[in-house]
Amino acid sequence: MINTGIISNTLGVLLLIVGGMMLTALPFSLYFKDGATLSILEASIVTILLGGGSLYYKFKNREKIGKREGYLVVAMGWLSMSLVGMLPYLFSGVLPNLSDAFFESVSGLTTTGASVLNDIEAVPQGILFWRSLTQWIGGMGIIVLTVAIFPLLGIGGVELFVAEAPGPTSDKIHPRIKETAKRLWLIYVGLSTLLTLILYLNGMTFFDAINHGLTTMATGGFSTKNASMAYFSPGIQYWVMLFMFLAGINYTIIYYGLKGKFKKVWSSDEFKTYTLLVGTLILMVTILLYTSTNIPLEQAFRVSSFQIISLITTTGFVSADYTAWTPALTFLFFVLLFIGACAGSTSGGIKIIRHLALFKNSILEFKRLLHPKALIRLKIDKQLVAPRVLTHILVFLLLYLMLFLLGSFIMSFILADFEHPFLTAIGAIATALGNVGPGIGEVGPLNNFAAIPVSGKWFLSFFMLLGRLELFTILILFMPYFWQRN
Amino acid sequence: MKIIIAGAGAVGFHLADLLSRENQDITLIDTNEEILEYATTHLDVLTIKGDATSIAILEQVEVEKAKLFLAVTTSETTNLLSAILAKQLGAKKTIARVNNPEYLEKSQVKNFQKLGVDQLISPQQLAAQEIERLLQRCSFTDIFEFEEGKISVVGLTIDNTSPLIGKKIRKIDELNPDFSFKGIAILRNHKTIIPRGNTIIQKGDHLYLVTQNKHIDKATAFVGKQLQTVKHIMIIGGTNLALRTAQLLEDKYAISLVLNDKEIGKKFLEKLQNTLVIIANSSNIDALKEEGLEGMDAFIALTPNSETNIITSLLAEELGVYKTIVLVDNVNYTHISQNIGVDTIINKKLIAANEIFRFVRKGKIQAIASLHGVEAEMIEFLIHKKNRLIKHPIRKLHLPKEAVIAGVIRGEQSIIPDGDFTFELKDKVIVFSLPEAIYRVEQLFK
Repeated sequence: MINTGIISNTLGVLLLIVGGMMLTALPFSLYFKDGATLSILEASIVTILLGGGSLYYKFKNREKIGKREGYLVVAMGWLSMSLVGMLPYLFSGVLPNLSDAFFESVSGLTTTGASVLNDIEAVPQGILFWRSLTQWIGGMGIIVLTVAIFPLLGIGGVELFVAEAPGPTSDKIHPRIKETAKRLWLIYVGLSTLLTLILYLNGMTFFDAINHGLTTMATGGFSTKNASMAYFSPGIQYWVMLFMFLAGINYTIIYYGLKGKFKKVWSSDEFKTYTLLVGTLILMVTILLYTSTNIPLEQAFRVSSFQIISLITTTGFVSADYTAWTPALTFLFFVLLFIGACAGSTSGGIKIIRHLALFKNSILEFKRLLHPKALIRLKIDKQLVAPRVLTHILVFLLLYLMLFLLGSFIMSFILADFEHPFLTAIGAIATALGNVGPGIGEVGPLNNFAAIPVSGKWFLSFFMLLGRLELFTILILFMPYFWQRN
Repeated sequence: MKIIIAGAGAVGFHLADLLSRENQDITLIDTNEEILEYATTHLDVLTIKGDATSIAILEQVEVEKAKLFLAVTTSETTNLLSAILAKQLGAKKTIARVNNPEYLEKSQVKNFQKLGVDQLISPQQLAAQEIERLLQRCSFTDIFEFEEGKISVVGLTIDNTSPLIGKKIRKIDELNPDFSFKGIAILRNHKTIIPRGNTIIQKGDHLYLVTQNKHIDKATAFVGKQLQTVKHIMIIGGTNLALRTAQLLEDKYAISLVLNDKEIGKKFLEKLQNTLVIIANSSNIDALKEEGLEGMDAFIALTPNSETNIITSLLAEELGVYKTIVLVDNVNYTHISQNIGVDTIINKKLIAANEIFRFVRKGKIQAIASLHGVEAEMIEFLIHKKNRLIKHPIRKLHLPKEAVIAGVIRGEQSIIPDGDFTFELKDKVIVFSLPEAIYRVEQLFK
């Protein structure tokens, strides 16, 4: 039934790529003489051998990939990348515990950005670079998923564009998936390079610049500094803010923007909502912050907009402790963990388009009550949304909520010894499921996840993978009928 | 002038009728033998049975000698293809009837001309635009604009409250010295009257008057009509015209579109953004009431069934809907409809035919319009050379009694002339004429 050949084949290719990418950390390791060169090389060789073996197991498999294989490849792909991704941490002794290393690796590849490292600045530079690179690889993987694989499986934010009416589907900028992916990658690589350059010119060291370039565009949030973004100058913070915002936009929309088709950009309901939402929130929080604390206006504007963009795009950089302001703002920032940016970007979370669909449909429901005979259907981007898609979105939201509640419940047991077990549990689960990074309570912006018990780390790793792969991809593997013959 | 008309459907037949009365040589092509037989016995035209896209048929009707080729079948593709073929085979000018609104966009004009289609006509589009115009000036039952609205002829019904009842036209003229106001026709009990100074206005008269656009509001008030703006509109009918109209109006008005068929409704929904699409029996007045008919400012009946349209609109009027517009494609109903109190009638055929007519007569005649239920036409002439027309004032020109000069456009100015007015070269003259005088009027302005 399930074609294992194609799976091992694909995983093999994936591991070879990851192994190859690991080698790019070597120059940094050698340059800084950080002592981790050998461990990185070992990790890379092990990964390449594993990949080669997996590829060789059924070489040149010409079977067609089916739906089941598709789900398995995605889930196992992320899992196996996470497993080999922890090798450098283990071999170098930076994170000697399996649970720590796996957590850090998953957090990277899911572009979450939650860390168990207590002193980041003491970690060898080669390992740090690898840590940032995992986020960048994860971001790139997400682009492939949203462009090529999720549409085939019928999930992800882009399911909306599998429109009922055979119209121009908004998310295909080229008839061939390969060409589309190529163009989007080019944007991804281009913007990462540009940001690196800008950061370097604004006074970061080249090493810091490239690391932050990688983790910003991936909406990851790993930093090379213990104080995260707060370490850097306001100018740098503004630049990072801008690129975080860009990284939260649907890549197809960015593509149209670069092509000069601004009409198409502004006709996207999701993009409009994203921009307006971010704008309104910034205005609101800046005013709140300025009036309720004695922070000067420029700083109030900067820290509030930075935190809002960082959380809404699920990047998770920190420039200030947002839990230290007022309880209302803490709550607001907690809610932001559930928003997410646009579908088709590297951001995680629920994503604007699902909120938009839910919100619009709820409004329409009132209209339906008043006009029982009227034909009232949800439209997004002036296109009808198929009822099946709408159901899918509602199920997603419900699942998300249920997973959050169940996860928080279990996490509260695990964190029973903490000072604020409840706050920490909901913060940790929300941030893991949304792939954000910082949470609230004892996993707030100034803390990290080192203190979480071993079981908690495995549990959160699982939630990060769940959130990153849009819930369904992982959950479907737990359904009995997935494994049945028909 | 040799004119070939492909398609003897509603529009084609009506055009053949109009044009044959103008002493044009009409050849009518259609695949339906019965319709052609009817046409042969009722009109002075030549009929050919066959497919208008067939080269053999086109050669048989000597398309190369045709001054004009009109493709007005119900099939858009047939129309476009036959017009293109006719042009290639030597027809001088071609007009094709289309439905797809994309083709009518300005940017496409050149493309179609390159292909050989000189003009595209969409009855639906024209009718939808007519409805839009009628809603903007909803006190009127008809509006005809000349020269981009410099002069308008508007029609309205004199109801109980009008201060004009029982007054002579001459008196009325004296009452309002501050603007030009000229009644050019009265429709009274099926008969068209060209009013003279001593004609007395009666209750229920349907009065056509010519006015400059800037005075329209004054004229409305003067006749005793209240200015009312329309906001909420109900349209009934699952027709393409209903869809076009809703598309055209939905940004400016709040529209409920009521139709019977759910499948059609779903298709409409894809193309409409702000319209409320309601699935209900549109001929059932209770169902319409449930959807808020009483609160509507305007009711537009566009079902394919003229009877349904007339009845529902009468009921809507009774419920207090201010403005009703009714699609009546059956010409035989036009007269009675107005008599039994239907407010405004539109007829796709007439609208399309007028548009094509304008094109046919282009050159000496600038524009033409037919009034519903009135046996008369308004024709726009250009004074193109120096002749006796510009030497004498109007009263000495011996205009036929059945015709009246409605207005004159001189450059950017619009003038409503009296008897002492003298034309100048390049004046555009709008003449209102009963059919028996059209020929004489045309001779006069030739």
